[in-house]
Amino acid sequence: MAHVVLKDLVKTYGSFKAVNDVSLTVNDGEFVALVGPSGCGKTTTLNLVAGLIPITSGDIVIGERVVNDLDPKDRDIAMVFQNYALYPQKSVYKNLAFPLQMRKLPRDEIDKKVKEAARVLDMTHLLERKPRELSGGQQQRVALGRALVRDPAVFLMDEPLSNLDAKLRVQMRSEIKRFHQDLKATIIYVTHDQLEAVTMADRMAVMNGGYLQQYDSPAQVFAHPVNMFVASFIGSPAMSLIPLEASTANGNTVLTSAEGWSLELSQLNARKVQRATTKKVVLGARHSTIKLHNSAVPGAIPAKAFTVEPTGDVTFVQAFLSGAIVNISVPPNIAVAPDEQIWLEFDQERMHLFDGETEMALTAN
Amino acid sequence: MSTIVETAPRGQTRRRMRVDGWRWAGRIFLVFMLLYTALPMIWMLITSIKSGFAAMQFPPQWWPDQPTLASYQKLLDPQNSVGQDFLRFFWNSLFVSTVTTILSVIVAVPAAYAFSRFSFPGRNFLFFSVLLRNMFPAVIFLVPLFILMRVLGLVNTHGSLILTYLTFGLPLAIWLLKGFYDNIPVQLEQAARIDGATRFQAFILIVMPLSTPGIIATAIYSFIGAWNEYIYAYTFLSKNDQLTLPVGIQRFFSENTTDFPGLMAASFMMSVPVVVLFLVLQRYFVRALTEGAVKH
Repeated sequence: MAHVVLKDLVKTYGSFKAVNDVSLTVNDGEFVALVGPSGCGKTTTLNLVAGLIPITSGDIVIGERVVNDLDPKDRDIAMVFQNYALYPQKSVYKNLAFPLQMRKLPRDEIDKKVKEAARVLDMTHLLERKPRELSGGQQQRVALGRALVRDPAVFLMDEPLSNLDAKLRVQMRSEIKRFHQDLKATIIYVTHDQLEAVTMADRMAVMNGGYLQQYDSPAQVFAHPVNMFVASFIGSPAMSLIPLEASTANGNTVLTSAEGWSLELSQLNARKVQRATTKKVVLGARHSTIKLHNSAVPGAIPAKAFTVEPTGDVTFVQAFLSGAIVNISVPPNIAVAPDEQIWLEFDQERMHLFDGETEMALTAN
Repeated sequence: MSTIVETAPRGQTRRRMRVDGWRWAGRIFLVFMLLYTALPMIWMLITSIKSGFAAMQFPPQWWPDQPTLASYQKLLDPQNSVGQDFLRFFWNSLFVSTVTTILSVIVAVPAAYAFSRFSFPGRNFLFFSVLLRNMFPAVIFLVPLFILMRVLGLVNTHGSLILTYLTFGLPLAIWLLKGFYDNIPVQLEQAARIDGATRFQAFILIVMPLSTPGIIATAIYSFIGAWNEYIYAYTFLSKNDQLTLPVGIQRFFSENTTDFPGLMAASFMMSVPVVVLFLVLQRYFVRALTEGAVKH
């Protein structure tokens, strides 16, 4: 196992910058998820690490070696692809043996390693089958086995679960996590599903438009998103972002909506708002931090319930405030009907404030 | 409720009857097509086992009174001058067609792979200009190519034919194979390269085996094209010992009186390699034509 360092990594296609100055360090044995919407550069970044496409500038270090100009085969990596990329003409056994054959291992050693990998992944009975005779989950497992059999320095995984059905995905998610814990493997995992990233990764790198937005533990990213993109991308349902205008009178800072209502801020939040570049401030609140009242409460803002979605455990209520969708979760025993008048109370301790101009999170210091 | 139960089967029978009508029309059409294509072949076979006199009789003998393999013996006898010529022409055709086939696979495989996988300046222009040749009837190029071959000093050599057949066969071969490579996920090669293969090894070990049906189809196509070609062979070659079968057969059977059984026997033997090739490899051929065309 080894650590991986990306330094000022750039990949351009003509004038299009697919990856922009991405720098991050993946520690030895760490599980890092690259997460972002499609086209954010996460898969390109992974392919750069794999050496499947040449880098435009920057450095990639795996272990102690700068691998910029090395062929994929010389980088000591293994990769699991979204479509598994199993060799269709080869049996499972030969699929697993291929990376070892290419490294010219003796035949009996190959046999030992293939059987060991098959045992670990519980697919000894599948060794003689062709990939097309396997279910999606089994193919997935063979792809994992082909990566595992070689004991590489780094595992690269490109959306390995997105072709599986929902139930199998949850199962394989815990299997991959287990596999990481047992092997202490260094893993770089690309996904567009923030839930996979949050549940599996030690650290997650949120990307958008080719830029690395935030690189931190899932808990930190969730609690302290650095900008509006990260805030809205991580968490489900998404954080509500309400555009407002800040003003100060008699030492009190209030956020005023174009709709007429206003919200008085706590001392700490007022200090944050003062650091904004303009008067425009965006209030961010996660569904669980907004309290819903059926009657007027001091400090609560009147709104109309738009949709009500019971999920069993919680009921999600959507409302519009200042033209933005606001998601609120309430216990299932609270009855709300669509178009009913409701009052929303924001938690001053857990609200997020963003600069309306730069979209960056506002901090008090 | 009861009305639905009653009407449903009636609707079904009506639909089945209509389908059956079309199916029978199709079968009858196919029988006619079969007769149309098979009868000349059958007549060729029957004539080839007749004596020269029986072949000229009218009304014709539907089945020869005295079937004989004399024509075949004559053609395959290296002591006989007719047999010597026939075997030489056969060998010439085999040589030209085989070399054409090998070269066309050697050129078409990397070309199609490059068109499918790499992006380079002029890629689309080149790809469509490959087809340019096929937009005109082959005869149009007869005189220009003859002049070109004379300048190159290739007239009366098999090289002139091999070059010409290559330019005729390659466009379709490249298009067919490109369709094949387009359908092979690029991730397979990427996986192989990560697993320790060089780019070339990934191509040879992973991609080539997957495109075998396409390569076989390409090979059959070029072989048949070269084997059957007449007009260029007739124009480019004039020396008797260089002729290919299509030209050769016509040459030496029509000098004084036409030996129809001999001509038919030669024609039959000429069609043997093609038919054998096709029968053995037809499943690849069909798979190639459909797989290359349809995206999964």
